[in-house]
Amino acid sequence: MKRGTERDVLLVVLATGISSVATQLYTIREFLSLFEGNEFVIALILCAWLLLGGIGTLLSQAASRHRDPLGLLARLTLLLAALPVLQILGVRLLRELLFLHGASVGLGKLVAFSLVCLAPYTLTVGFVLPLSLFAIRRQEASYPGVHVYITDNIGDVTGGALFAFVLVALLTPLQALCVADLVLMACGLRLSGRGRPRRAGVLLGMAVLGVNLAGLSAEKASLATGQGELVHYEETRYGRITVLRDQGQYTLFENGVPLYSSSNTFAAEEAIHFPLSQRADPAEVLLVSAGGGMLEELAKYAPSRVAYVRLDPAISRVELSLGLLGEIPGLEVINADGRAFLASTTHTYDTIILNLPDPDTFLLNRFYTAQFFTLARRRLREGGVLSFTVSGYENYLGATQRREVSCLYKTVRDVFPHVLMLPGRQISFLCSDAPLSPEIPELLAARGIKTAYIEGYFTQEVNAERRQYLADALDAHATPNRDLSPVMLRYMFAQWFAKHGTRPIPFLLAAAVLVIGYALHMGAGEYVLFTTGWTTMAGEILVIFVFQIFYGYVYLKIGLIVTVFLAGLLPGALLGQWLRARGRRVLLMSDGLIVILLGTSIAGLVLVGASLPQGCCIAYGGLLSVLCGLQFPVALSLRGGNNPAMSRVVAADLLGAACGTMVTSAIGIPLLGIIGATGGLIALKLSSIMVTGLCHGQPQPS
Amino acid sequence: MASLSRREFLRLCAAACLAPGALAPAGCTQDAPSALFADSDITGSVFVGGGPRRLWKWSKEASHYRLLEGSVVVCDLCPHSCKLSPGDRGVCRSRVNHKGTLYTLTYGNPCSVHIDPIEKKPLFHFMPQTRAFSIAAAGCNLRCLNCQNWEISQVTPEEVSFRELLPCEVVHEACRAQCASIAYTYSEPVTFFEYMLDTARAARERGIANLWISNGYINRGALLELCGVLDAANVNLKAFDDEVYRRLNGGRLAPVKRTLVVLAMRGVHLEITTLVVPGYTDGEDMLRRMCGWILGNLGQDRPLHLLRFFPHYRLDRLPPTPVSTLERLRELAIEEGMRYVYLGNVPGHPGTNTYCHNCGRLLVERRGYLIPAFHIVEGRCRFCRSVIPGVWKG
Repeated sequence: MKRGTERDVLLVVLATGISSVATQLYTIREFLSLFEGNEFVIALILCAWLLLGGIGTLLSQAASRHRDPLGLLARLTLLLAALPVLQILGVRLLRELLFLHGASVGLGKLVAFSLVCLAPYTLTVGFVLPLSLFAIRRQEASYPGVHVYITDNIGDVTGGALFAFVLVALLTPLQALCVADLVLMACGLRLSGRGRPRRAGVLLGMAVLGVNLAGLSAEKASLATGQGELVHYEETRYGRITVLRDQGQYTLFENGVPLYSSSNTFAAEEAIHFPLSQRADPAEVLLVSAGGGMLEELAKYAPSRVAYVRLDPAISRVELSLGLLGEIPGLEVINADGRAFLASTTHTYDTIILNLPDPDTFLLNRFYTAQFFTLARRRLREGGVLSFTVSGYENYLGATQRREVSCLYKTVRDVFPHVLMLPGRQISFLCSDAPLSPEIPELLAARGIKTAYIEGYFTQEVNAERRQYLADALDAHATPNRDLSPVMLRYMFAQWFAKHGTRPIPFLLAAAVLVIGYALHMGAGEYVLFTTGWTTMAGEILVIFVFQIFYGYVYLKIGLIVTVFLAGLLPGALLGQWLRARGRRVLLMSDGLIVILLGTSIAGLVLVGASLPQGCCIAYGGLLSVLCGLQFPVALSLRGGNNPAMSRVVAADLLGAACGTMVTSAIGIPLLGIIGATGGLIALKLSSIMVTGLCHGQPQPS
Repeated sequence: MASLSRREFLRLCAAACLAPGALAPAGCTQDAPSALFADSDITGSVFVGGGPRRLWKWSKEASHYRLLEGSVVVCDLCPHSCKLSPGDRGVCRSRVNHKGTLYTLTYGNPCSVHIDPIEKKPLFHFMPQTRAFSIAAAGCNLRCLNCQNWEISQVTPEEVSFRELLPCEVVHEACRAQCASIAYTYSEPVTFFEYMLDTARAARERGIANLWISNGYINRGALLELCGVLDAANVNLKAFDDEVYRRLNGGRLAPVKRTLVVLAMRGVHLEITTLVVPGYTDGEDMLRRMCGWILGNLGQDRPLHLLRFFPHYRLDRLPPTPVSTLERLRELAIEEGMRYVYLGNVPGHPGTNTYCHNCGRLLVERRGYLIPAFHIVEGRCRFCRSVIPGVWKG
C-alpha cells in the first residue's frame, strides 16, 4: 500500500514537472505574441512565474498538517490539468478586453496583468510539490524529500526536451497543453482512486476533460485578429506566424508584431535604393531579412545573385507562397541565422542589406555590434556597401534615440572609413571602404531608375539641413556597442520605457526591498539555495547569450543548453544526496567551485572569446548545473529535512531563480555587460560562502 | 440582430467571466464592456505638484485663465479646463500654476525648427510650392497612441533640448530662409498659444502667412483671438466618433467640430486631415457621417486628406492601412459630395493630385512634394474656368 501510494504520488510529481515546463514554455510564447518580445518582458514573465511558484511553495507549509493530504493532492492535480488551457485562453481573452487592440502595453500594466493571469496556476503548482512530499510522509514519515525534488527534475527535463524539440513545431499551443494535461489528469485520477470519495474525482476528471476539449475547439477563434482575414497561422520553433489579408493587402505578423505588409513603398525604396545606388554594378547582393516590395525594387538593378537569408524557414515559405515577396531571377533563399551565415560563408558581396528590426533584443543586438560590422566588412568586396536602418524620427531626435544613433555611428565608424547617415522615414546607415554620396535621386536618375518615394520626397525630407541636424546631434564620446558589452540594449530598454511613460526604477526598488527583507529572514542553507537558484538562471541566460553571439541562433543547440541546465541538476542532486552527511563543508566547497567556474568563464571570454569550441558552452552549463543541483539535498538536510524545511528551501531556490532572471536580463547584461554580470554572480556566491562560513556552529531552526 | 465580430465576442465573453455583476441587467449595449475597463479613455490628468521649481526665463503669464479662491486657477485655453493648485501642471505639460498665476513654460524655446514644403503640412490649396518655416515647442493636450512626434508632444518643456528664439527672431529667420509662411506644427501649437500668437502678429507685420497645424482642441475664446492672425489651418479630425477620440486620442469630438466651424466662419483657409487607422477610423459609415457633417457645416470645398496609417509609437501592433481601403473611402467621400479628397502617405498615387470638380481634368499633378504639372490660372481651372477654392499665389 505504501509503495503504491509513493509510486502514484511520484507519478503525479513527474507529470506535473512535464506539464509545468510545457505550460511555462507556451505561456511565455503567448506573452511574447500578445505583448512584447524583448528580454525585459521575458524576464518579467519568468520572474513572475518563479516568484508566484515560490510563494505557492511557502504557502504549502499550511498543508503539512492537513488531515487528507493525498485527497488534496489528487484534487489539486486535477485542477492543474485544467488550468494551463484556461490560462492561455485567459491571457488571450483578457489582453483583448483590458487593453486596446493593436496597442502595446507598458511595464506597470504588464506586471499587474502577468501576476493576475499566472497566479492561479503558478501558486497551485508551487503548492503541489511540497504537498506531494507531505502526502507520502503521511504513510512513511522518514521519506527523503530529495526524492520528490529529483522526480520533479526528471519531469522538467522530460517536458522541456519533449516540448521544446518535438511538440512545439508539431502541435498548436492548446493541443500540446492538452497532451500534457491528459497525462496529468490520468495521474490525478489514479491518485484520487486511493482517496475518498471516488465519485467526486471522476466528476472532476470529466470537468477537466471538458475544459481541455472546449479549449481546443476555441483555439483558433481566440486568436483575435482585428481587421482582416486570417489566411495563415503557424506555430514554429521561433514563434507565431500569422498572415492577415485585408482589402487585398497581406500583412505578415511574427509574434504579434507586423513584420511587413505587401506594399510599403517608403521602406522598400529606402532599404534598396539607398545602398544599391552607390555602386555602378551591384552584381551580388546579400539580403538579411526582407519586406514587401523590396525584391521588386532590387530587380531594377538586375543583380546576378540575391542571397536572401531568413532564420525561420516557415516565414520564407509563406512569404513566397503568398506572393508577399515577388520572386526575381537569381534569388537564393537561405534559412539560417544571418550572422552565423556570414561567419560560415567565404563568399563576398557587393552589397549587404540588413533589414532587421531595431536591436531591442539580445538576439537582434548581435547584428549591431563592432564584431558583427567587422565580420560584414570582411564579406564585402572592395567598394561594397553595408546598409542597415533603425527607427527614424519625425522632427526631433529624442535624448534616448540620440544616444542610440550616436552609439551605432561610433560603432560602425570604428570599422568603416566611410559612413553616411540618411534621416529618411528610417535612419539609414550606409557603410563602405569607399566614398558614399547622399545625392540618391541624382544617382538613380543617372541610371534611369524610376521610384515613387525617392523622386518626390527625398530632396525635401533628406535634405542637407536634416542631415546636418542629425550629424550635430551625435555624441562624439559615445560608447561603441560590443558583443560582450551590449550598451544598445540599455538604450533600447530606456526607449521602451520612455514610449510608455513608465520608469523601471520604482518597480525595481520595490522588488529589491522585498528581496532584501526576505533574505534577512532566511537561514544560511536557504541563502545558499537562494543564491544558487539565482546563479543557475543567470548562468543559463548568460550561456545562451554568449552562445548566440559566437555561434548564431541555432534553435536545437539553444534547446540543448536549456536541457543540459535542467538535466545537470539531476546528477547534482544525486551526488548531493550522497554527500549530504558532510553538510556545510559540501556547501562551502560547491560554492567555491561555482566561483572558480564563473571566474574561468570570464577568463575564457577575455582570452579565447569566439574561438571557444561550442562544446565548452554546453559543458560549462552542465557543470554549473551539477554544482547547483548538488546543493539542494545538502541544504535540505542541514535544515532538518522536515516538511516546513522542504517548503522553505524549495521557495528559496525558486525566488532566487526569479531574481536571477530579472536582474541578469534587465540590469546585469545591459548595464554591466557579460563579464560584469558574471562578476556580479561571483560576488553573490562569495556572499553565500561568507554567510555559510559565519553561521558555522549555529544551530539551524527546524 | 447584428452579428458580432470576433473581438466583440471576445470582449463580451471576458466581461461576462470577469465582471458578471457589473454588466447591466438589461439593455446592455456592446459599448458596455469597453466602458468597464481602463483603456476606454486615455485622457490625461493634471500633474499634481508637477510644476518646475523655477520657471523658464521667458515664461509668460498665460492668457485665458481664471483665478479661483486659494490661488487655484482654471485654464480656459482648451476643453480640458485644467483646475490647477499652486505647483500643479496642466494636462498639456506646458502650463503651470506658479503662486496663483498661470504661466506658460513654452515661450521662445522651440524644440523643433525646420523648413518644410507647405505640402508636407499638408496644405494642398494654399500657396503651393512655397516653404513654411516650421516651429514646435514641447507638449500636447491630447495623448494620441499613434503620435508621430511623441518625443516632443508627450514630454515637458524641461525634458527637451531647444533653441532660444523670441517671436521677432522666428520671423527674422523665416524671412532669411525666404519662407512664405510660418507653420505652428509638429507637437500641438495650442500648448504654446502665447508664443504662437506673438509670433503670428509679428509675422503678419512682415507679410508672412501663418499656418496652424493642430488637433483643433481649443476653446472658442482663444480660437477667436487666434483667428485674427491666422491665414490657413489644417485641423486633424482624428475620428468622427467620440468613443474613438477618447480611446485613441484622449479627447472629445465635439470641441474639434466647433473649432472647424469657427475657422470656416472666420474665413481662415481650412483643410482637414484624417488618419485612417485600421479597425478604428476606416469604417464607411463613419466616413459618411463625417462627410455629411462637413458638407452641412463647412461646405463642399474644404480639402480632405485621408492619410495612410503605419504602425507607430504605442499603436504598433496594427497593420498599415490597405491602399484599397483609402481608395474606397476617397471614392465614397467624393460620392457624398466632397470636391477635393486626397490620399496621403501613398507615394505616386493619383489620389494625391488635384482634379477640377467641374470638368474632372487634372489641375495639379503631385509627385511627392514636386509639382510637375499645374493648371490653375488666377484661381480658376485652365480648362473650364471654374473657380478652384484656395489661395494659389506662391
